[in-house]
Amino acid sequence: MKYFEDVQVGETEVLGSHTISEAEIVAFARKYDPQPFHTDPEAAAATIFGGLIASGWHTCAIMMRLSVEAARRVRAQTTGSPGVDSCRWPRPVRPGDTLTARSEVLETWPSRSRPIGFVRNRVEMLNQRGEVVLSLVGISMFRRRREELA
Amino acid sequence: MSDLVYFEDVAVGEVHRFGRYPVTAEEVVEYARQFDPQPFHVDDEAARQSMFGGLIASGWHTGAMFIHMLCEHAIPGAATTGALGFDDLRWLKPVRPGDVLGVETTIREKVASRSRRDIGVVKVDSRVLNQNDEAVMTLTSLVLYRRRPLPPAETTGAT
Repeated sequence: MKYFEDVQVGETEVLGSHTISEAEIVAFARKYDPQPFHTDPEAAAATIFGGLIASGWHTCAIMMRLSVEAARRVRAQTTGSPGVDSCRWPRPVRPGDTLTARSEVLETWPSRSRPIGFVRNRVEMLNQRGEVVLSLVGISMFRRRREELA
Repeated sequence: MSDLVYFEDVAVGEVHRFGRYPVTAEEVVEYARQFDPQPFHVDDEAARQSMFGGLIASGWHTGAMFIHMLCEHAIPGAATTGALGFDDLRWLKPVRPGDVLGVETTIREKVASRSRRDIGVVKVDSRVLNQNDEAVMTLTSLVLYRRRPLPPAETTGAT
């Protein structure tokens, strides 16, 4: 079990990888972000992106999936998130890209009112060429060890 | 001439309210199974016993519902071309099945691109509201707008 007390500033982790298909990009975008450069390969070719690209919200969703799987592996006692300080999509994500997510702990602080602690992370997703396609600073909440609270 | 809203046409301080997105348990679970399979997003019973007291939507699902409302109501008619990202996103209250979401946007700031003459960045403060007018999510989006193309006469006259 990984509690708040076990999280160290500076620790880094590779969360996992995912290869994204055109079908996935189009399915997500049709449901949530139906802009032509996300849903229609032909229309996308005529835009500034020069081809189909994934919704930034889809890239974030994949990042979340990889985070949940990574947290499960170490049985992290996470309990949600109050938010995200900043999120950038510096390069497009295209069909066939293999995205790898990695995270680094920037800061930790305990809650004054509840038996939890906050962890500020930088999470980056890189494509198969090592280019950053998502850069995010977010906050997650961890449960504290009971014995330390007693 | 098209009547698209270009970078030049966006007015700082402008407020818009739009969207109506009914949140269903089926969709909350479907999104979460795919992208955020934590017990309080996918399992009714486990969610009841969690600190949330029942099923709640993934925060990223709320983000997805937010961009859907923008695509339906705000982006058509606007010369936008995606976004750089966002700042200061906060998930303020749980989103539950049965909630009906809407959006309120306020134009905060316009920043002309130094490197590109054809686009500008518009910072938009957005609030996602539930049926009780409570903000469930707030964020500041960095939206890319195309600049108004010059009429042909001016383009040729400029040289």
